[in-house]
Amino acid sequence: MKALLVAENRDGKLLASSYELVAFAQQLGADSSMFLVGSENALPQYDGTLYLADSGKHSEYNPAVHKQLLLEVIAKEQPDLVVFSHSSYGWDLAPRVAVALGAAQVSEVVEVVEGAMVVPTCNAKLRRQINVKTGKTVVSLQSGAFCLSEDPSGTPIVEKIDTETASQIVFEGYEEAEAGGVDLSKAEVIVSAGRGIGKPENMPIIEGLAKALKGEYGASRPVVDSDWVDHGRQVGSTGQTVSPKLYVACGISGAIQHLAGMKKSEYIVAINTDKDAPIGEIADVLIVADLKEFVPLMTAKLLA
Amino acid sequence: MELTREIYWNVGHGLTTLVPMYLLTLVAVALLLHGFRARVKVYRQGKTAPRTDQLAVRIPAMLKSVLLQSKVARVKGPGLAHALFFGGFFLLFLGTCLIVVQADFTDLLFGVKFLKGNFYLLFSVVLDIAGLVAIVMLGGLLVRRYLVRPAGLESGADDLIMHGLLFAILISGFVIEGARMAVTELGTSLALWSPVGLVFAKGLAGYSEETLRAVHSYTWWCHLLLVMAFIVAIPFTKFKHIFTTSLNYLFADIGPTGKLVSLDLEDEEAESFGASTITDLTWKDIFDTDACTQCKRCQDRCPAHNTEKPLSPMKLINQLGDVAFNNPEAGLVEACDKDAIWSCTTCRACQDICPAAIEHVNKIVDMRRNLVLMEGEFPGEEVMVAMENTEVNGNPLGIGYASRGDWAENLGIKTLAEDPQVDILYFVGCYASFDKRNIKIATAFIKLCQAAGIKVGILGKEEKCCGEPMRKMGNEYLYQTLAAENVELIKGYGVKQIVTSCPHCFNTLNKDYRDFDFDIPVTNYSVYLQQLLQSGQLKLNSAEFACTYHDSCYLGRHNDLYDAPRQLLEAAGGQIVEMNKSRSEAFCCSAGGGRIMAEESLGSRINVKRVEMAVATGAPTLVSNCPFCLTMFEDGVKGADVEDRLSARDISEILVERL
Amino acid sequence: MKILVCIKQVPDMESKFKIADDATWYDSKDLAWRMNEYDEYAVEQAVQLRTQVEDSDLTVLCIGPQRVQETMKKALAMGCDRGVHIDDDNSFQKDPFEIASMIAEFAKDKSFDMIFTGMQSQDRGSAQVGLMAGEMLSLPSISTVVDFTFEDGKVTAKRELEGGIKAKVSCSAPALVTCQLGLNTPRYPTLPNIMKAKRKELLTLSVADLLKVDSTQETTKIYFPEKRSGGLVLEGAAGDLADKLIQILKENTGVLA
Repeated sequence: MKALLVAENRDGKLLASSYELVAFAQQLGADSSMFLVGSENALPQYDGTLYLADSGKHSEYNPAVHKQLLLEVIAKEQPDLVVFSHSSYGWDLAPRVAVALGAAQVSEVVEVVEGAMVVPTCNAKLRRQINVKTGKTVVSLQSGAFCLSEDPSGTPIVEKIDTETASQIVFEGYEEAEAGGVDLSKAEVIVSAGRGIGKPENMPIIEGLAKALKGEYGASRPVVDSDWVDHGRQVGSTGQTVSPKLYVACGISGAIQHLAGMKKSEYIVAINTDKDAPIGEIADVLIVADLKEFVPLMTAKLLA
Repeated sequence: MELTREIYWNVGHGLTTLVPMYLLTLVAVALLLHGFRARVKVYRQGKTAPRTDQLAVRIPAMLKSVLLQSKVARVKGPGLAHALFFGGFFLLFLGTCLIVVQADFTDLLFGVKFLKGNFYLLFSVVLDIAGLVAIVMLGGLLVRRYLVRPAGLESGADDLIMHGLLFAILISGFVIEGARMAVTELGTSLALWSPVGLVFAKGLAGYSEETLRAVHSYTWWCHLLLVMAFIVAIPFTKFKHIFTTSLNYLFADIGPTGKLVSLDLEDEEAESFGASTITDLTWKDIFDTDACTQCKRCQDRCPAHNTEKPLSPMKLINQLGDVAFNNPEAGLVEACDKDAIWSCTTCRACQDICPAAIEHVNKIVDMRRNLVLMEGEFPGEEVMVAMENTEVNGNPLGIGYASRGDWAENLGIKTLAEDPQVDILYFVGCYASFDKRNIKIATAFIKLCQAAGIKVGILGKEEKCCGEPMRKMGNEYLYQTLAAENVELIKGYGVKQIVTSCPHCFNTLNKDYRDFDFDIPVTNYSVYLQQLLQSGQLKLNSAEFACTYHDSCYLGRHNDLYDAPRQLLEAAGGQIVEMNKSRSEAFCCSAGGGRIMAEESLGSRINVKRVEMAVATGAPTLVSNCPFCLTMFEDGVKGADVEDRLSARDISEILVERL
Repeated sequence: MKILVCIKQVPDMESKFKIADDATWYDSKDLAWRMNEYDEYAVEQAVQLRTQVEDSDLTVLCIGPQRVQETMKKALAMGCDRGVHIDDDNSFQKDPFEIASMIAEFAKDKSFDMIFTGMQSQDRGSAQVGLMAGEMLSLPSISTVVDFTFEDGKVTAKRELEGGIKAKVSCSAPALVTCQLGLNTPRYPTLPNIMKAKRKELLTLSVADLLKVDSTQETTKIYFPEKRSGGLVLEGAAGDLADKLIQILKENTGVLA
């Protein structure tokens, strides 16, 4: 089996998620080669052929050009699988390639069971196994689903590629994330504080954990009511409705108004001294502990 | 000596007195009518409203409110002062009428006098005391208004004119009496029957008869002119409330309390729904604005106003009045301010206390209806989400409808779909169905019924939100959709009796659903359980405990149910320590009027304020009777940082522990 | 200007999901249905564009069984002019390639100036249909749009990338965009518009007329993921708990990768 791995580059840097593609190919036992619109200065640590186009020339987002470059490599390599990350780059490019190849596309693969790809369905409530009917398959992988067991290593054999395709779409530049304003609905990780934190002075330990998990911090209504946290960070039916990949509820008992705002989270961890707190009913994991002790320890271990 | 006095003494009863007097009266009354005619034109901008039906109910109610000042006197202090002043002034008015009737009609035409003998003595002493009471009360009110003014009481030119005129009329009356008595009665026993006049007479006693006669005549004409000025001033000053407020008692909403008028949403002719301009309101709504005396009682009790939100029911009524009279093209929402309109919890504290029978809540809901139905606007996105949740899943929390009956698993009750033969249908409501904290209410109620041998059924996943929060937020369309579905469902099962544990469901099913050809009896659980207790079906093991009790707005002010829940608590061994604001004065929990779906982003927290009132009683438990209240108090106890001192509980939880 | 917006009816994600008897899809019993959230943003943007450009006509297209007409009514109440319902009781078995091809087949001779779709559906979550339809129609297409402007035939949009970064791109109409959450605030239909929507044109087409391709894939099995640690209650020393939790997060979430 042959796999072509579509690595990703942003702002001159290789994205670490590219190695997840390598892990996927390894798991399937597939021979792989790699495709990247990037820079010679940021090459992946990868033993194999790397088809490299210059992002300086082709820009970092230009689907028509990137598609053309990729199709040329596919024509040459004839892979069985074209593998993307399920990212804003991958999910944009993959369907275009699939249509060009007349191939099936399987989005956001989380695992491979007996050769069948498995994808989440209905907000990850369900999973589906897919049977592909076409010769070639375009695949995108859920972020974090496949990991290399050891640090990436190796040096690619670089084969430069180029094309002169005209594009109807013009890339006009990046816009940085807005500072200050918090849109919790987009956060992948949210660590929320409830009244169980006891006093406002304990907020920094919540913020610390959020930072260690590369996420945002939020709060329940009583905490916001007490002015311990800015109103813009309230999670709940009268605040923001969120659906992060991970929601950590610290000292939140789980009033209905709060649950309504966060129960769509993919994975919920609750930290509470009360084993019977309602939050336990929807939490995947309930840590029965004093958060003032547990959270700083957890943060320290994450940063270690 | 005959026990009477000469009417028109000193000023004479000839044409030189009568002609100018009656001409002036004619002119004054004409100006009064002219003034009101202009106002009536303004009232008539409004739509029709059936407020002149059932006169057999309306007229006695009006007489009671006017003559006994029953609404006014509910507030001790200024209310009582006003009532006494009114009594005094009204008696003086009646006395003057008697004089006119005798002097210018019965005596003049038929030679019949009735102001004589013992009746005259009574007449004389009563009027004297009435005048004194009026002066003292007016003085008290004046001191309150101008010297020890309570916060929020605003005074303008009207108030100055009113106090000045009334004082001048009352004092000049006594001066006239004093001058006459100084000449004709001083030293006689008759004078004792005019005790206040006697004081004035003694004060004037040193002057010559000629001076006294001059003073008398001068003051008499002044008094007459002052009274004429008073009559003319009525339609042009706050004096108008003498007529408008009195008539508003006649036009008052005679129930059911707080029932909103259902909109005809199928009306093909309708171009607009709800109130956006003054012509969208009814004439009664506009008349209300003219009946307001700015006594600020509503504002004093408004939970929104008391937590620094931009709503004052009084101001809102005045703003609508300003639009009606001065700026009829203006938009109502802009005039009243959107934030004010959204801040209302429909708790009815304003309407309940209003001495002028003004209806604040329906106007606010009417404006909300316009915002929602015509503009798709809500106080916040979270409310829109709650509306959409309700459309999809039949509950504002957005939980999958199929799990609505899950709480009842293992309780040994069935849905009507499984077994429609039940004693009562328990209409559970959204919060007691889905919220873990409130499910305890539903569970407790079932256990209490089972202990009393009552077979209860529920609708399970077929039940939908009663629609109350949506309706009060202005979404009449969604409400009517939900109501029609619930009514059809419930009627289909042939239910004989419905019991609710949520006062909002209770009020809605028992009043609002009646517009949907729905006549099944609906009872609130507190009343139902109290009946079971009385009949002996339900037995409680009383165990003493201290608590304070919160009257939810929809059980209390909306339905006058204050005693049944208290009796239940007492039967359970409860020693109730009342909060300062209880029964009809109870302070809202913040969740009414659909605010349960909304973020409370303006001012301070209503629920925290109420919890603090409960803490002040020293009782360790705050008992309520409503899932919304319980939700708010659970949050409020945390917000007020009194978790160690106060716990919020529902009445059913207390009872079930004592089975 | 002719505008097309494609919507899907999906089960409300709060529904109690059950597996259907043949275990290849979820059971439709006890589900509440609603418009795919992403498509609400698409409809809103389409309606805004319709209002912005004079003499516009906005068609809403939906594939599915009879019940999807309820969802289409909402789009019509939000401001779409006409509806096209591709009646298909088995739409849930169609893969994204087939769905996209039906949209393309419908749109190919209608010369739409703009096509809006949601970025993905809430149930399948493939994020393929919009872009595939764009490719099939040879239209420039921009996905994951969180900001959209249209001026003199030029589309300028911001794509949402990871970490809150946005990429600004532009192209000329005709074009297709797929809409991401937060693009706008979908309106709540007003009552007069709800009433009007009941009388708007709703054309029904059959699948046979539009489906000209074979399926590329099928779902062989649908199941609930193992409750990996569902309802797991951990007690003990804080240090051990932290180690355990880190291990659990590594195994069950992608956030520690």
